[in-house]
Amino acid sequence: MIERKTILTVENLYKQFQVRLGAFGENKGTVHAVDGVDFDILRGETLGLVGESGCGKSTVGYTILQLYRATSGKIWYDGKDLTQLSDKQLRPLRQKIQMIFQDPYSTLNPRMTIGEALAEPILEHQTVPEKEVIPRVVELLGDAGLSSKCMDRYPHEFSGGQRQRICIVRALACNPEFIVCDEPISALDVSVQAQIINLLQDLQEKYNLTYLFIAHDLSVVKHISNRVAVMYLGKMAELGPKDLIFNNPMHPYTKALLQAIPIPNPHIEKSRTRELLTGDIPSALNPPAGCHFHTRCSHATDLCSQETPRWKQLPDGRMIACHLAVE
Amino acid sequence: MTLNTEMQMPPTQINPLEEDTNTKPFSIWQDSFGRMMKNKLVVISLVLIIILLFMAIFGPYITPYDYLAQDLTKRNESPSAMHWLGTDQLGRDVFSRVIYGARTASLVSLLVVFLSSLIGLVVGSIAGYVGGKVDFVLMWITDLIMAFPYLILGVVISVSLRPPLTEWMEDRFLATGNPIFRQTSFVDVFIVIIVITSTAWPPYARLVRSQVMMVRGQNYVTAARALGLSQMKIVRKYIIPNSIGPVIVQMSAGLGSAMLTESALSFLGIGIRPPIPSWGNMIQDGLLVWRTAPHLLVAPAVVLGLMTVAFSFLGDGLNDALNPKQWK
Ligand SMILES: Nc1ncnc2c1ncn2[C@@H]1O[C@H](COP(=O)(O)OP(=O)(O)O)[C@@H](O)[C@H]1O
Ligand SMILES: [Mg+2]
Repeated sequence: MIERKTILTVENLYKQFQVRLGAFGENKGTVHAVDGVDFDILRGETLGLVGESGCGKSTVGYTILQLYRATSGKIWYDGKDLTQLSDKQLRPLRQKIQMIFQDPYSTLNPRMTIGEALAEPILEHQTVPEKEVIPRVVELLGDAGLSSKCMDRYPHEFSGGQRQRICIVRALACNPEFIVCDEPISALDVSVQAQIINLLQDLQEKYNLTYLFIAHDLSVVKHISNRVAVMYLGKMAELGPKDLIFNNPMHPYTKALLQAIPIPNPHIEKSRTRELLTGDIPSALNPPAGCHFHTRCSHATDLCSQETPRWKQLPDGRMIACHLAVE
Repeated sequence: MTLNTEMQMPPTQINPLEEDTNTKPFSIWQDSFGRMMKNKLVVISLVLIIILLFMAIFGPYITPYDYLAQDLTKRNESPSAMHWLGTDQLGRDVFSRVIYGARTASLVSLLVVFLSSLIGLVVGSIAGYVGGKVDFVLMWITDLIMAFPYLILGVVISVSLRPPLTEWMEDRFLATGNPIFRQTSFVDVFIVIIVITSTAWPPYARLVRSQVMMVRGQNYVTAARALGLSQMKIVRKYIIPNSIGPVIVQMSAGLGSAMLTESALSFLGIGIRPPIPSWGNMIQDGLLVWRTAPHLLVAPAVVLGLMTVAFSFLGDGLNDALNPKQWK
């Protein structure tokens, strides 16, 4: 593996939402969306972040971009703790960190032409001189596989896949180095998903990008990631190089997720032993004590229900939070 | 990266011209306009409205008679070739007065709609964008005013504002000698605008608030924040353009209802007072003699009714045309 430098470090990150419950909002509750998460992202890599829906993946992404303000914890980027910066101090840094959203249909302003939408980030951060704005927009459209004629069109004239390509190059327009991709293909037709993945990979190569690639589907992450992080109910379960996670998972939750992927070969598919996930994911309003996963884990012991497992490194390089894993 | 995975990705095939060969560039506004013109009622309404505006602007210059010119030898005459809509109790030409009434109605309703949508835009966007306690207080005030009957408010404002304003005008006239301060009708128009505006803005505020709340939850606003755009830019380029559609619809209907309210106030004698013609005070005059000279009642009433309906149809048409759900 190539030695890479860290680009962004997330340290003990918590994000809670105060919500009102009941028909009349008579009760208050706290959603523990992100419940103490540590990881770093290496320059030039794609870190895949997987977990069931509602486990806090998007919240991690939004908090990194300071679209949500963290309840506590630090996010180190370029020697600065983003959580401590004011909106104004963040503005120049926003050029460097961008996001691609799940739903391309609502990510483009319906009242702005594609040309305006692509020029906006360039003008805002003045990444090129004024007279080169249009050539740059044309270049970006080319990156998205669209002709320069699209500049005067409105988003509603494009298909979902085309819109997501536009969103991707728009995120690139201000020359960022790090992009959070929040399930960029899950709202799209299967037939165009591969296109988007390939586009993301081509652009990563062309512009030296670093991705945090969020997905609930391990197979997508397997294709695109260098390292994979698995999240469960606001906490990290396991993080490591892709091959290690896919070929030798150690966290029972990772194992269960992997075994949920069907294998194309029916013989292997039939003969393999399964660690199925039973029961529903507990509510983030009231996460279980100890290891959050113990209510669904077939190996859970008394310790698991009492004590939160440490986030520790194993000799093979992976990080894991499980009492059963030996250091 | 090598493809040694189970999931094989087919090679990228992005045809630059895929799906985008048959549509030609057009703007959303042009598109909406084209769709609106397909509705006949809307077109008729639009024609009526254009005639109204034409009358309001040029009417007094093209009418055959002065709207104040009395001819006491020809009172309450029926429509004839000389007086298309007959004459009133003082022998004035009703046609000329109806046309001048269009000026009164348009002036009042345009200013009312402008002011009340402006207030509504400010109050509603602050409430919707800031939320929390600010929202609660602003909406509480809005609802309070919305529940207040405009006629009572009209009487109160009219009674308390008219004497001091009239006095002020007289003082100014004596001090400056400028004849503009003799125009007491300015006081009437001013009071009518204040009365109607103070009860007309709450629906705009509610509408703008709900639009802003809906729009600000959209991903494109989040993406704009992620870009580092300032709040002002986000409001100007994202929130307002995307929430303005229904407000325009409301403004159109609001023009009609402001005309109706102005007429109602003038009818009751707390709005525009004679001799300045307003459809409302003409209807009131007509009511006294409706048995002998029904045209005095019918002429302004029909014009008022037509205009109110026209604005409401135009509002419906705009509603259909601007509704984003109808975009393909
Ligand atoms: N703005 C919010 N207000 C309240 N709760 C929220 C908000 N955003 C997310 N949540 C809650 O936080 C948890 C994590 O959500 P999210 O990060 O969207 O999950 P994921 O992206 O993994 O599906 C969920 O329980 C969700 O309901
Ligand atoms: Mg999500």
